[in-house]
Amino acid sequence: MRGGNDELDRLRGERTELENHYIDELVSGRLDRRDFLRRGSMIGMSTGLLGAILAACGGSSSTTTATGSGSGATPSSGKKGGTLRVAGVTPTGAVNPLTLFDAGGLLMLNQTGEFLIFDSNLKLALQPMLALSWKPNADGSVWTFTLRPNVTFHNGKQMTADDVVYTFKQLSDPKVASNALSAFTGVLTPDGVKKVNATSVEFHLESPNGNFPYLVSSDNYNAIIVPNGTDFGKWQKTFVGTGAFKLGSYTQGSGATFVPNPSYWGTKPLLSGTQFKFYDAQQPMILALQGGDVDVIAQFTPAGATQLLSGSTYKIITLKSANHRELSMRNDQAPFNDAKVRQAVAYSLDRTGMVAALLGGKGTVANDYPFGPRFPSTDTTVPQRSQNINMAKQLLQQAGHSSINATLFTEQYQEIPELAQAIQQNAKQAGININLKVETQTKYYGKATYGNSDWLDGQMSLVDYGDRGVPNVYLVSPLTSKGPWNAAHFKNSQYDSLVKQYVAALDLQTQKQVAGKIQRLLLQETPLVIPYWVDGLTASTPSITGLNPTSIAQLYLNTASMG
Amino acid sequence: MTAFILKRLGLALITLWILSLIVFFAGQILPGDAGRAILGPLAAPSAVKALDHQLGVDQSVLQQYWNWITHFPGTSQQYQAPIGPILTTALGKSLKLAVFAFIIVVPLGIFGGVFAALKHGKWQDRTITVVGQSALTVPEFVSGIVLILIFSVWLGWLPVSATAPPGSGFFTSLKYLILPVIPLVLILFGYIARMARVGTIEALGSDYARTATLKGLPRGVMIRRHVLRNSLLPTITVVATQTGYLIGASSSSSSCSATRESAC
Repeated sequence: MRGGNDELDRLRGERTELENHYIDELVSGRLDRRDFLRRGSMIGMSTGLLGAILAACGGSSSTTTATGSGSGATPSSGKKGGTLRVAGVTPTGAVNPLTLFDAGGLLMLNQTGEFLIFDSNLKLALQPMLALSWKPNADGSVWTFTLRPNVTFHNGKQMTADDVVYTFKQLSDPKVASNALSAFTGVLTPDGVKKVNATSVEFHLESPNGNFPYLVSSDNYNAIIVPNGTDFGKWQKTFVGTGAFKLGSYTQGSGATFVPNPSYWGTKPLLSGTQFKFYDAQQPMILALQGGDVDVIAQFTPAGATQLLSGSTYKIITLKSANHRELSMRNDQAPFNDAKVRQAVAYSLDRTGMVAALLGGKGTVANDYPFGPRFPSTDTTVPQRSQNINMAKQLLQQAGHSSINATLFTEQYQEIPELAQAIQQNAKQAGININLKVETQTKYYGKATYGNSDWLDGQMSLVDYGDRGVPNVYLVSPLTSKGPWNAAHFKNSQYDSLVKQYVAALDLQTQKQVAGKIQRLLLQETPLVIPYWVDGLTASTPSITGLNPTSIAQLYLNTASMG
Repeated sequence: MTAFILKRLGLALITLWILSLIVFFAGQILPGDAGRAILGPLAAPSAVKALDHQLGVDQSVLQQYWNWITHFPGTSQQYQAPIGPILTTALGKSLKLAVFAFIIVVPLGIFGGVFAALKHGKWQDRTITVVGQSALTVPEFVSGIVLILIFSVWLGWLPVSATAPPGSGFFTSLKYLILPVIPLVLILFGYIARMARVGTIEALGSDYARTATLKGLPRGVMIRRHVLRNSLLPTITVVATQTGYLIGASSSSSSCSATRESAC
């Protein structure tokens, strides 16, 4: 062991204060191996270094070296060749890296495009992709990224800092129609993106942000690196990127093919090509897999997929995800202006039953705050809420009601209408009578601004939130006083200040400590209810190996093999 | 004659212009915003504003109408691609399916109807009538899924998808069209067969048919020359009116098949 400690001392000597802090946490046992990998990768420690530190601490290294786009999946030793046929959702619009937001579009984006960092759901860690390493300054307000050398775009041009600077200036420019602005507003402006030299870029943030690497990772799905000067509106003609595959053909509304990129910087693909077929709904995708027309369904939801989930005919990849549903109640209007009434709704719900019935067990019960098993900063000592009809009735009585009537607005999307019915039935047992208004997504979201949206204005409102690598968006947008999606109209200065502290915190212990306070405050106030977290699911025929999906519907295929 | 044609053309142009006004202004009245629809509900308001400006939907309504009518068919705001190829690709695929369905259902329907009429009141007649009428009541999206389950998933004889892989030959493409064509055939068979049956029964009972039979004309010749020529006229009218349905419905039938045959 002495040899191990000598090695650890040597490694420590070359590390920053923050990196040494994480090593301390690992040695003291406050950080387990998995969390050490997640946090270490977040502040830019390389996978090799993390492995060496774990080995020096007496454990075996289980980290893998980066192998390119598929680095989250175990590098496959499967057979070479073959065309993998993948079912994906039809992109709802143009495949434009700047504007798209839909699952079908972002699945296309990642076939040829790569990010600075890959947020691997399989490994639950950030992995270097086009950035080799990254590190923050002392307070986390400036992040410096060192780029991978010798990377070329599909057009033959070498990738440099100019391309990265161009990409992020466009993504963060409020004068540009960028969907990434929902992540960058208040965090990064175009002026904050600075080239240091040909292989190094600095991001000067508007305020310290301990989780900034997630915002330039695959988590922020718009942020693929494109060549300097790219016209984003015409990107779908070339799909120019740096990925393991390059465009074969793209047919609007029908499908796409991709071929291996011979000059790829990472592990070369095993497949001789990929073919994507687009579907408007999940049921035809399942039929296509059952009928042998496709080999893989890129992503599906448990609702209506019992054929895939029961039995062992198909290989299912289950990813723990932060994808969830939020039931908000108008905190500024009677009867939900009383926390007891909101708590009564929360206690009336049978969350375990919902996970079993609506998700076929492919989910996890949640606890009315946006911290869950996906995030290492979650304080797991906070007790889980479960159904207690008597307590719900008592809370209502304490608030001066024997029963209440309310209207719940929601959207026709996945299992949400059924969830709304389950909420209605559960709440009725406690004397809460809910009138349901299930609307199309267009009607429900409206203009997505206060006063023009059933989502944001409804007395009760049930909405979906897609997966994120860190809970920052969930904490800020729907819950802070000035949040743009605050359907609960929750205004609490103590909460706002805690969230500010959480976002700025660089080390995990501080984040955990603040998270615990936020969790307890939100349980007490219950501005909204989160019944469960939904797993990310990918299905394939049994022989397919090496798939590398993420829980936001991306699918990297350079390690995939036909078996 | 020239004056008549010019008048009709002039009226057609006016009709199209009024139609364009209705389509455009109906679109304006509907709730929603182009930038918001493209960027999604969670996009930042500044991004929506920037895109609306880029698309020109923040201009006056008259200006927008002028831009649209002078650049017709123009570029799809949603797909950021020219509309012409999107429409022609979709129409081409729908036509292929419609023509295939037409080639099968018209002879089949007429043969079924005439055969039923010739066996009027017998079990063959009743079978064709009951099967045809029953099939008529099953919507394409139901029969489509049942057929996929039987022929693709359980038996594995036919592909689930309606689109053959790129570069496929004629017969391979045909194989991919079989499943989506069947629901269309099922719907139209009952209709065409019923018309053909009624027409044939009427013609068979007519004076000229009886005279031809009494004249000693062989039954086959009598049916071919005298009965069918008269009895099929209403059937042909029905077939013509159903052609539009065939092109429209082929998109929903192929949607039941796993991949989209016609972009909507």
